[in-house]
Amino acid sequence: MNLQPGEELPDLIKHPTTRQLAQYAGAQGDFYEIHYDQDFARGVGLPGVILHGLLKAAFLGQLVTDWLGERGTLTSFEVSYRGVDVPGKPYRCRGRVSSVTGLHAELEIWGEDPDGNRTTVGTAVVEMNS
Amino acid sequence: MSATSSVVDRLRAHIGTPGPPISAVVEAGHLKRFTDAIGDSYPRWLTEAPPTFLVALAPVSAHLPEAEEYGQGWLNGGNRFEYLEPVKVGDTITAIGKVVDVYEKTGASGSLLFIIFETEYFNGHGRLVARLRGTAIRR
Repeated sequence: MNLQPGEELPDLIKHPTTRQLAQYAGAQGDFYEIHYDQDFARGVGLPGVILHGLLKAAFLGQLVTDWLGERGTLTSFEVSYRGVDVPGKPYRCRGRVSSVTGLHAELEIWGEDPDGNRTTVGTAVVEMNS
Repeated sequence: MSATSSVVDRLRAHIGTPGPPISAVVEAGHLKRFTDAIGDSYPRWLTEAPPTFLVALAPVSAHLPEAEEYGQGWLNGGNRFEYLEPVKVGDTITAIGKVVDVYEKTGASGSLLFIIFETEYFNGHGRLVARLRGTAIRR
């Protein structure tokens, strides 16, 4: 395995669109209007429709599982949504290994808007295969 | 203290009480629609659930109509996913959710209501396969 603290995960850059938000709303079954109805979203004080938090969580899950491949198992992850993200802007998922104990590793993961603001922050735990 | 504190009290009365179990079968077509929607084409997800798929089988958070008396809209504050066993196509998953905490925070920009949900997902053998947490915020 040879994971080292400080190792960075390859960036995963997503390009969410309003179409993707509608597609995700259907696939997850979350039909809260802030994700597809611009007038509704503005009416509750948002800049327009925003990404589902759980869609950003899915992106960050993919960041970890793409990097991990078949080398181990994702055993847990958690994320806090610190800011809203809108379709039409790239969403950059990043991560790095924060600690390694035997086959157990903890990662810091986060998602950034194009200005570099960390709008989602979190951690993940992986168990590497022996 | 009034209207908003009584909403908090009424919501706190739900803490710890499990909601009705929700069962669903993991279908290949649903997995495909989900992975297409998130844009994750990793081949293993043709037959196994990717990390956040369980929220599409049964939501982490229950609908609590009285919470909507507070503020003007919902925000998702965060999610936690803990995995004990893989979930595969054909599995029948049963989800049981509950409210684990309700509290109000007042900051410079006003008051927020936090509702913490926890949902446990079991497979057809009755084994716990995952435990999810969600923080729903009314603002």
